[in-house]
Amino acid sequence: MSESATPQNFDLEVNGISYPISADQGKNLLSVIREDVGLTGTKEGCDDCECGACMVLLDGQPVNSCSYLAVQAQGRTVTTIEGVMQGEEMHALQRNLLDEGGVQCGFCTPGMIMSAHALLDRNSNPTPEDVKIGLSGNLCRCTGYAKILAAVEKTAAE
Amino acid sequence: MSLNEAPKFVRADGPDKVTGSGRYTADMNMTGQLVAKFRYADVAHARVTKIDVSAAKATPGVLAVLTAADVPDLRYSPVVPDRTLFVKDVVRFEGEIVAAVAAVNAATAQAAVDSIVFEYDGLPVVTDLEAALADGSPIVHEGWESYGVSGDTVQRPNVASFSSIEKGDIRAGLAAADHVITSRYVADASHALPIEPRAVLAQWEGNKVTIWTSTQVPFDARNGVCETLQMPSSRVRIIVPHLGGGFGGKCGFHFEAHIAALARASKRPVKLVFSRREEFLAPDRRREGMIVDITTGVTNDGTITAREGWIAIDNGAYTADAAFFPQLAAMHVAGPYVSPNVFVESSLVYTNHQPSGSVRAPTAPQACWALESHTDEIARTIGMDPVDFRRKNTVDEGLEGPAAQVYGEIGLRRCLETAVANSAYGSQLPENEAVGVAVGWWPSFPGPSGAYIKVDADGSGQIITGAQECGTGSVMTLRYLAAEELGMEPEDFELVYQDTSAAPYDTGATGSQTLLNNGRAVIEGAREVAAQLRDVAADQLEAAAGDIVLADGFAHVSGSPDRNVSIVELAGIAAEGEMLIGKGSGTPPDYPTVSATCVGDQGVAGWAGPQFSCHAVRVRLDRDTGVVRVLEISAAHDSGTIINPIAAHGQVEGGITMGIGQALSEGTVYGDDAKQRNAGLLEYKLQTAADAPLVTTEFIEIPDPNAGPRGAKGLAEAPNVPTAAAIANAVAQLIGEPVRQLPMTPERVWAVSEGSSS
Repeated sequence: MSESATPQNFDLEVNGISYPISADQGKNLLSVIREDVGLTGTKEGCDDCECGACMVLLDGQPVNSCSYLAVQAQGRTVTTIEGVMQGEEMHALQRNLLDEGGVQCGFCTPGMIMSAHALLDRNSNPTPEDVKIGLSGNLCRCTGYAKILAAVEKTAAE
Repeated sequence: MSLNEAPKFVRADGPDKVTGSGRYTADMNMTGQLVAKFRYADVAHARVTKIDVSAAKATPGVLAVLTAADVPDLRYSPVVPDRTLFVKDVVRFEGEIVAAVAAVNAATAQAAVDSIVFEYDGLPVVTDLEAALADGSPIVHEGWESYGVSGDTVQRPNVASFSSIEKGDIRAGLAAADHVITSRYVADASHALPIEPRAVLAQWEGNKVTIWTSTQVPFDARNGVCETLQMPSSRVRIIVPHLGGGFGGKCGFHFEAHIAALARASKRPVKLVFSRREEFLAPDRRREGMIVDITTGVTNDGTITAREGWIAIDNGAYTADAAFFPQLAAMHVAGPYVSPNVFVESSLVYTNHQPSGSVRAPTAPQACWALESHTDEIARTIGMDPVDFRRKNTVDEGLEGPAAQVYGEIGLRRCLETAVANSAYGSQLPENEAVGVAVGWWPSFPGPSGAYIKVDADGSGQIITGAQECGTGSVMTLRYLAAEELGMEPEDFELVYQDTSAAPYDTGATGSQTLLNNGRAVIEGAREVAAQLRDVAADQLEAAAGDIVLADGFAHVSGSPDRNVSIVELAGIAAEGEMLIGKGSGTPPDYPTVSATCVGDQGVAGWAGPQFSCHAVRVRLDRDTGVVRVLEISAAHDSGTIINPIAAHGQVEGGITMGIGQALSEGTVYGDDAKQRNAGLLEYKLQTAADAPLVTTEFIEIPDPNAGPRGAKGLAEAPNVPTAAAIANAVAQLIGEPVRQLPMTPERVWAVSEGSSS
């Protein structure tokens, strides 16, 4: 058996909780989040930084977790889709995506929400063009993007 | 709440999907689970000389290695049974599976796969459709005559299925024309590409297997496992967790049997998750490449006298569900136009490419692109406005289509007028901008479908349905139908779906059929429960059951709203005796018969619930680079009655975006070795949010009496149909002639532009 010759031990903070991780130093952040931390809301769509389904926030910045080494995330804060809810309340992005019909199959949705979250964090008053550019790293095959863009614009306007 | 009052439609599965708590197949894990990996042939045409898996079997941590020798020796597939689970003697495309491995982790499984010795003698590859049809071509399936095809399927060497549609006298019709216009168009293959790569997890308990799988068609998947592993359906259960899109790519039976067989051999749960590259290469489902020759005869006043077509469709190496493609493509090349004389021949041609299969409106976007580009060529030739030409020649109520079906009230011409009126067609536009117009059509697919409805003691309802949700929202809509029958709220109902052992049969998320067929089943089941509720209420209110009205959560006596009892109370009473349980399937609408001569008939010449559409697309061309940008799309669709507006708009917007990709960037590039050269999202470009045009949609709501609930027709596939065609017509206006290849990449547009200006 050839997997994980020397596991690396480190702590990883995800959604405000610190997890002790023992994983191969070559393991990507996405796999550690899904397999070691046990949060499966973050999706793998391409393992190639092309689709954005694995988007998480690292110290508030959007990162394709498929192409980021988990060990490099130690000492930093990771936010996944499971950390977006505000207590028992949905974040406005989540609510507006549902209200506007921006969710179909839902597989791109977590990554899309994380990118939108990062966009609104750095620009609370984005133009429609800003929103398009901010989400252009997240592929959606269902919606044609229109209702997703509308949901993000509505959130920004609230 | 009445459906028409529903201002917004919020999905029952929405909270799962926006919070990350929803489970997709790849998110499921079982104790003791092994990882599956496949060894692919990685050669497109070859005769096998050696398969040696001994090193793989001896690898520590490997619990099962399977090849063709380990499964029943049979060929499968609907209509044309030409497929085997594993490579046997001949490899016919690069993604064929030589062996399957189950091991304790991915690295071990991959090492075992790499250790498999696979040797072969290469055979000449068949890649060109016309060469494949020529005498002396290498034959992809030696012995094809013995395959035992079903129905009226017609086969020829290297042709899996041939169909023709003939009406009137084509020679006389062409002779009567003032102009005869002939065009050739060639479309590349493309991909469905759901963002969720497929996954399968199988676990045996005793002699039964449960398979969690990302399929659009759970019952097809079950039947495939039953057929290939020789098991009764009572021992195979398919459960689909949330499904991350499909677009046809996850229709059909794919890898469920491989994983079930690995799980049986290893006595462990086994899980397969595809990489994006595998998703490109291995499934029997890509959109088919196509060559279309069209000839149309017209008189000087723009009347069509004859239409002739010749179509070659790239089947790839195996037939999957594609046997009906030739007839369907023939309908689209003849198109929604009135012509007294029609003759179209259409062949599904074997090659050594990945197999084709139903991807969102199979054959239609390519064939429509060819036909509608040709239609604009006709209009240019005779000096007629292309919209006027369509006004004059499209099918309408009382008129006869290409297979001689006579239509009832249909909305094609209203779609044309609406889409054009909502666009900038005919206005003065900035330089390098133009508006192209195209019309399209697509059938609805009536079929059997079932559901159970129950209302529990506390008044909570359940809809237990065989239907499959792939993202469209059509399963979500079922709650509204049940609620209205029972005077309850949609939120009162839980949906139990995507489980073959829980619910009656449904065709699945395919053919835009869920609302059409399962909607009928749910309504019938809910009516059974409504009758039961009325009986209980009649006892309580001392009235006749026929006088009981169910509304707003209460049963009341007609004309006396104060004589009422709540449905919750009735449900509690019923739970003590005759319980509230309904079942429904209903009778599917009829398929119209047609009088045209249909050789190789596959049942898709007579269309129930025909859907019509028109898209008017405004584009801008960068002449220096050939880059086409889509700015605005005005869409009008006749899909009958619209029951769930927000989902309907979502289908149109999503289908349009997929159509833009197909028009401009999405095409599979094959090497001379018949292997894909752009099997990744870096090389195969999808549309992004930054590309999203402004889409305006209007629905022309004409209830179809021979379709679904309230006269609803299908919708999910139709928006894909005329998008590439409309873009092409805008581009042709700008560069003076059509780009005769799809996708219309910048290189191709630039080349035509340069050629026509030099």
